[in-house]
Amino acid sequence: MHKEATPPEVEVSELDLVKRCQDGDTEAFDQLVVRYRTRVFGMIYNMVHSEQDAWDLAQDSFLKAWKSIGRFRGQSSFYTWIYRIVMNVTIDWLRKKHVKGSGAEFDDAVQLKEIDPASRTVPHADALPHERMQHVEIRGRIDAAIAQLSPEHRAVILMKEMEDMQYHEIAEALGCSIGTVMSRLFYARKKLQNLLRDVYENV
Amino acid sequence: MKTFEENWTAWIDGQLTGKELAEFEASLPDLSAARLEKQEARQLGSLLRQELSTQGMTNEEFFSHQLREEIARDSRATTPQSTPAPARESWWSIGRVVWTGAASLAVLALTTFFMMRDDNAGGQSAYLTQIINARITDPAASPDATITPFESKDGKATVLWVDGLQSLPSEYAAK
Repeated sequence: MHKEATPPEVEVSELDLVKRCQDGDTEAFDQLVVRYRTRVFGMIYNMVHSEQDAWDLAQDSFLKAWKSIGRFRGQSSFYTWIYRIVMNVTIDWLRKKHVKGSGAEFDDAVQLKEIDPASRTVPHADALPHERMQHVEIRGRIDAAIAQLSPEHRAVILMKEMEDMQYHEIAEALGCSIGTVMSRLFYARKKLQNLLRDVYENV
Repeated sequence: MKTFEENWTAWIDGQLTGKELAEFEASLPDLSAARLEKQEARQLGSLLRQELSTQGMTNEEFFSHQLREEIARDSRATTPQSTPAPARESWWSIGRVVWTGAASLAVLALTTFFMMRDDNAGGQSAYLTQIINARITDPAASPDATITPFESKDGKATVLWVDGLQSLPSEYAAK
């Protein structure tokens, strides 16, 4: 069974924070930001593969959340609600980028992206240089594979595998049916299995 | 009725139980190959969790600071809009427009009426009529002279229009 992504005791506190936010308390909103900023940033980064873009999109998402917090009715968890905003902002951005750009993001010809060896994707543990290189290479392969998925498929696989969200939570965040979520998961997994088989078999 | 894709996903994630699980596995043409693929899907999930979860955020405090600044800027920009100034009332209310229009029409009608009445009074102005009627010749003063006495309309002044005289005869001085 999947564990709940948002434990009940956190939700109670969150509801209190949300109510304070709805009264215009920016400090309460700041606490919510502190609670979710890293996860939100990580999720966006794994979808857009650019630290600067992920930063800007996370800022944009939280700002939109602040502006529309008055409409939050508590029917879902704040966590699911904020993810819905994050996904709207990020998927919209990816679509616009795809339209404006060359379209290489979703092409099969996409190659490994350049990864800064000093970037924070390298664990801070005492890994040996060749292990670091291997890790960077694996990360590059994964990023390149994810880049070949459509924004919606990226969102579904990342929310499922990274965030361990349940089908209904993903459906709420994306504003689609549970069946659509399961179907997208099926195709996203198939594609990533084809692209990363040699990676996960050798790790 | 779930599609094959939905059932497959639920099966990979261990969401099928009991009768559903038995039925789905019975429907698979090659159960051992499917189980191998299920294993691969789980390996993929582990790989993604392991590799993607390491992405952190540098300078988290600056992120919050920047957001606070943005919210404050946005609040300053939207505050005037949130309490809009009451719309300025126009002096031209519907009632006033109607009354002003009616009054203007009345003034126009009265002016037109009086002007037409004056024009039709005799075809000529009262002053001209008076002048013509009063025009006389006086050969004693001068064969070519004409003297036109007339009074102004309100009767407070008498005007002599003298034409062809070198000087005014003394008998006219008393008129």
